[in-house]
Amino acid sequence: MKQAKSSMNLLTSLTLKLMASQFNLRPSLKKYLKNTDGWINFSIGIKTENGTVEQAMLFNDGRLKVLPYVPEDADAVMRFANDDVLKEMVKITPNEILNLVMKNKMILEGNMAYLQAFNFYISLIMGKKHMKMLEKAKLQEENSRKEEYGSDDLEISKEVNERNNYRMKGSAGEDPGVKHLEDPYLSAYSLDDFPRIKMQHEKYFASKPAISSERPWLLTEWFRENGFEDDKDGNPWFPELRQAYAYKYLMENKEVVIRPDSLIAGTCCPEDIAVVIYPDTTGTMIWGELNSIDKRILNPCTITEKTAAELHDIYPFWAKRITREWVRDKYNYPLSQKIDERAFASFNFKTVALSHTIPDLPTLVNEGTNSIIGRIKEQMNKLKKDETDKLKTLQSMIICLEGLNTYASKLAAEALKLANDETDPKRKAELNKLHEICNHVPQNPAKNIDEAINSLWICWIGLIMENNNVSLSPGRLDQLLQPYFESDMENITDPDEKKRYIEHVIELIACYFLRNGEQLNLVPDVANYLFGGSHAQTAITLGGVTPNGSDAVNDMTYIFLKVTEMLSMNDPNMNARYKVGVNSDTYLKRLCEVNFITVSTPSLHGDDAIIESFSQNSDVIEDVRDWGATGCVEITLSGKHMSHTGATSINIVAGLEMALNNGYHPLMNWHLGPETGKIETNDFKNFDEFYAAFARQIEFIIANTVEFNNMASEAYAYLRPTPLLSVAIQGAIENALDVTRGGAIYNTSGTFNIGLADVADSMMVIKKLVFEEKVITLQELKNAVDSNFENDPKLHAMVQNKVNRFGSGDDEAIDMANKVAGTIHSFYKSHKNYRGGDYTVGFWSVAQHVAYGSLSGALPSGRLAWQPFTPGLTPHPSASKSFLDNIRDVAKLNPMYMDNNIAFNVRLVPSAQDSREKTVDTMFSYVKTYFEQGGMQIQFNMINSAVLRDAMANPEEYKNLLVRISGYNAYFVNLNREMQLEIIERAEFGI
Amino acid sequence: MTTTQLLILDIKGNSLDDGPGIRTVVFFKGCPIDCVWCHNPESKSNEVELSFDQTVCIGCDTCLEICHLDCLSRNNPYYIDRNTCDLCMECTETCPSGALSQVGKLMEIEDVVQLILKDKPFFETSNGGVTLSGGEPTFNMEKTSKLMQALKKEGIHILIETCGFFNLSKFKELIYPYADMIYYDIKIMDSVLHQQHCGVSNEIILNNFRELNRDYQRGGIKVLPRTPLIPGITDTIENIKGLVEFYHAEGVTKTELLSYNPLWHEKNLMIGMKNILSSDEKMTKFADVKQEQECRRIIFEAGIEG
Repeated sequence: MKQAKSSMNLLTSLTLKLMASQFNLRPSLKKYLKNTDGWINFSIGIKTENGTVEQAMLFNDGRLKVLPYVPEDADAVMRFANDDVLKEMVKITPNEILNLVMKNKMILEGNMAYLQAFNFYISLIMGKKHMKMLEKAKLQEENSRKEEYGSDDLEISKEVNERNNYRMKGSAGEDPGVKHLEDPYLSAYSLDDFPRIKMQHEKYFASKPAISSERPWLLTEWFRENGFEDDKDGNPWFPELRQAYAYKYLMENKEVVIRPDSLIAGTCCPEDIAVVIYPDTTGTMIWGELNSIDKRILNPCTITEKTAAELHDIYPFWAKRITREWVRDKYNYPLSQKIDERAFASFNFKTVALSHTIPDLPTLVNEGTNSIIGRIKEQMNKLKKDETDKLKTLQSMIICLEGLNTYASKLAAEALKLANDETDPKRKAELNKLHEICNHVPQNPAKNIDEAINSLWICWIGLIMENNNVSLSPGRLDQLLQPYFESDMENITDPDEKKRYIEHVIELIACYFLRNGEQLNLVPDVANYLFGGSHAQTAITLGGVTPNGSDAVNDMTYIFLKVTEMLSMNDPNMNARYKVGVNSDTYLKRLCEVNFITVSTPSLHGDDAIIESFSQNSDVIEDVRDWGATGCVEITLSGKHMSHTGATSINIVAGLEMALNNGYHPLMNWHLGPETGKIETNDFKNFDEFYAAFARQIEFIIANTVEFNNMASEAYAYLRPTPLLSVAIQGAIENALDVTRGGAIYNTSGTFNIGLADVADSMMVIKKLVFEEKVITLQELKNAVDSNFENDPKLHAMVQNKVNRFGSGDDEAIDMANKVAGTIHSFYKSHKNYRGGDYTVGFWSVAQHVAYGSLSGALPSGRLAWQPFTPGLTPHPSASKSFLDNIRDVAKLNPMYMDNNIAFNVRLVPSAQDSREKTVDTMFSYVKTYFEQGGMQIQFNMINSAVLRDAMANPEEYKNLLVRISGYNAYFVNLNREMQLEIIERAEFGI
Repeated sequence: MTTTQLLILDIKGNSLDDGPGIRTVVFFKGCPIDCVWCHNPESKSNEVELSFDQTVCIGCDTCLEICHLDCLSRNNPYYIDRNTCDLCMECTETCPSGALSQVGKLMEIEDVVQLILKDKPFFETSNGGVTLSGGEPTFNMEKTSKLMQALKKEGIHILIETCGFFNLSKFKELIYPYADMIYYDIKIMDSVLHQQHCGVSNEIILNNFRELNRDYQRGGIKVLPRTPLIPGITDTIENIKGLVEFYHAEGVTKTELLSYNPLWHEKNLMIGMKNILSSDEKMTKFADVKQEQECRRIIFEAGIEG
């Protein structure tokens, strides 16, 4: 209902006018209204939902003007719930503004980049005040944590920090692929045996990441000179070619860095630890934070004045060249995008990145770029002259590879220069060796393990410079490196030298982990809440079987596990495959021990279920057996598959809420879904009818999430095709088609679907109590849910205690979970993605079980409004007191519905009295049985709540305490409070 | 109760402290002796009982409306008038919170086996199995024997935890052939004190142990004597020294001392039992670490693994 303008309208107008006069009169502010390309022009509307306020700010040719109405063509509009929220807005810092969206107090419409620009301008005036507010808030937060969660036990952090002091020995001869390690567990070694790594490791945890503008600045420089949509002559660019030339310019001009003591040359960015910026996806999201990002409470980053100035200068260039904005313009702000931007029912991750895949590193390393260029040229020779698109596509690939080669040559020169200046003979020799290595790879096939790792790392830098560093995953590195390890070892006869070589390889892999960890993905403050603690998600996969089905565990598998244990880093995200009947008990026990020592890594996967499940997307069993984990847990067929496994997520709970409300979503106050029946008029005669209504709402949500995802894919193909990644995924060269357009052999898109356990439990309540036992009516249940059970404690107790949940061992509850999963799976499979491939269906949640939870009302299962869902598809803690019931039920889920994998989170608390062997044996039995029963994935947090609470109060004691969220690892101390508490509230099973 | 039915208190999977590997523990209801400190007081009676847990109750009064004998009252500190209650259990079915619940359930032997078989895959990967506990699993040996035979047929490892108060020849005939291991409670060496605290003399218990231990020494199944450390009752220096003397005489080289856990007092209230020990401060707290260490030291110095 429209109301008359309120006094807040006048106040808003006055405030905006005050802001306008400041910018219009003060040259020190006015200079920010301009960038290299000219004046920054845009408009922002401000409204309340009930019409009490309507104002707009126009940025036009260096002047700010306040309008008493929101113009039709405003670039963005902020819609506040009411006057109170608008008042609140004045009191908060710019980084918190997006959190208002998460709390559904504000709706943002239109171009997000300009909204961030507006925040930036506000921060120029309010800057000092904001700083003080942030500092105060930070202090308050620290103190309240100490008060609420602090413990008197000063020794409490000791046990977890000292787990590494005892290390089990492995039995030799159990794994046929292990050729040289006498103790596969390498128990003799700890970080103390590698002083240079230890030093780098300490420095890593002591450093704050820095925002890096190198990549976007160089790319923008090239685009400004050569055009983006059209070239200098005014002809439309062929997008692949445009990207290739810009990319080459970047690789030729980026700074070459070889870190002190590193056995690996090159870095993604010049800064010690850098946040890489991709302005065509999420880069502009920190525009408003440029003046405050170093002071924010969660994951602060340093930013130099130069970097902030460079980013402010290039952001306007990109504001309309962002995937999300491109879709908005081209498709006139479709409903699917509006749903996406409210972030309650679906969330498209493609607008963040499309890099969730596994590039074909083996081909790059084993064959070398020169030979690949030769192959591409041969392919071009086969084409007719008029096949210009194909020719240009292939030409783009060559240009990118040339850029990569140039970068390697520059690294070689830098190594030589450093070697000449070096006085320490050992380091001098290493640098001279790096000089030779970088002269040789990646152009040529690697000859030994040093060359192989440097080659893959240089290629990795190349790929990261092209595509977002979000979930691009190296895959099965133990398989790639083992032949080099073996052939190097064969050339060594002296046992001492063999030992030194093994130590060298450990150091080499540790260097790789550290370099990889030096590039972080951008986390705008809102992402601290949506994807708290999420990082680049470089997933490495170990073990399992080879393409021909034999045991793939080898020496390198164990070396990777050793480095994982020693460094305990959140990235790379370690994953291990286990094939029942093929992989050894020795191997599985080691996976358990590393999980215990590091608290939460690697994540474990059951090959049988995964191979069975993914075979629905490929008839070639060898390809399926060569799968690797991507991002969190997802399945990609290594090097052949543009899998974009983290394309889009939906909130299954939203479908249930809309079914309970005839298509209306109460918290969003939005009737968006189809009308599927009213409880008030008794439209549902039986459970099947109600379920059908839910299915239709889910169908609607999936149709919309797919539509927006396909539009975003089209945006990518135009804005950022990926010629280098296309070289690295088989099929694209042969098809002469970029992988963003479907050039790869396999072309699926992955979805992750959140709230399965909550919805299955709710459906069980409706089925049993309403329709079968008729203890309550659906209307009574709905009334209780609508009031968040506040007036009905009896009903609340009943739904929680009288119905068996998923995870309790009840077959009907398992059937219900399978039914919901099957519904979701079948709807996705009725769609195709932009590249002509199928959608795959996963049940894991990144951290969105918290975010979606905060935008969802109470549920029939008894879960209260705004509370987190269970992570992934993990059963609710109250489902059963016996962990065995949880294991069995999850293992009974139908893997055919889950071809994008699952996340089953388990918290185990080992008894302090038990020996390491007993703890590991117990974990081993759980995991082995789970996989024997058909389990797909399982991940651990091996820590009790008391220690986690202590870490909330004393983060300095727990800098690298790793925890699993849903699929990925994060440092616990970097998480927001809600997520920390969510982990503490998870079921805790003593062992 | 038919000949194929067992009175079961609870069946708990995933036990890691009741024998080797991952185990499923079957708690029988009914016990021939009456230890004052019993940790599972609800397992003593050989009858189904009604339990009320005040801490879970949400005060909705549904049960007050449903009880046809009006035997529930908030004025009664035990909530239930057990002299009037006919155990119809209607209140447990309607209680939304689970505060009112039935203790003990008659189960067909075949159903118990089926429940246990669900856990068998875990036994196989951990060398675990089933532990029969109680109450007292030998309270009705004919039926327990049937259960054990059925489990043996499935190749499941069986450990029996017993108080030792049974007819030995019957035990040898019905239980022994199907057991793989015995955990045998030896609580108090002084027979008068045993009578006082456990309701029976320890003569039969010690004699039975001697026999079974000799069998073990001759290659029979393993028997492990265990003693719960109860403050002031079993953890006295005299008692521990008495145990040592007995073990030396019988050639016992290994025992287990179980730490005291005071969390059983509330359980008494739930089933309407008074317990004199509940007002004894040392009984309601975790045990004195020093006394426990002293007990363990004596055992250790006597050359017995503990």
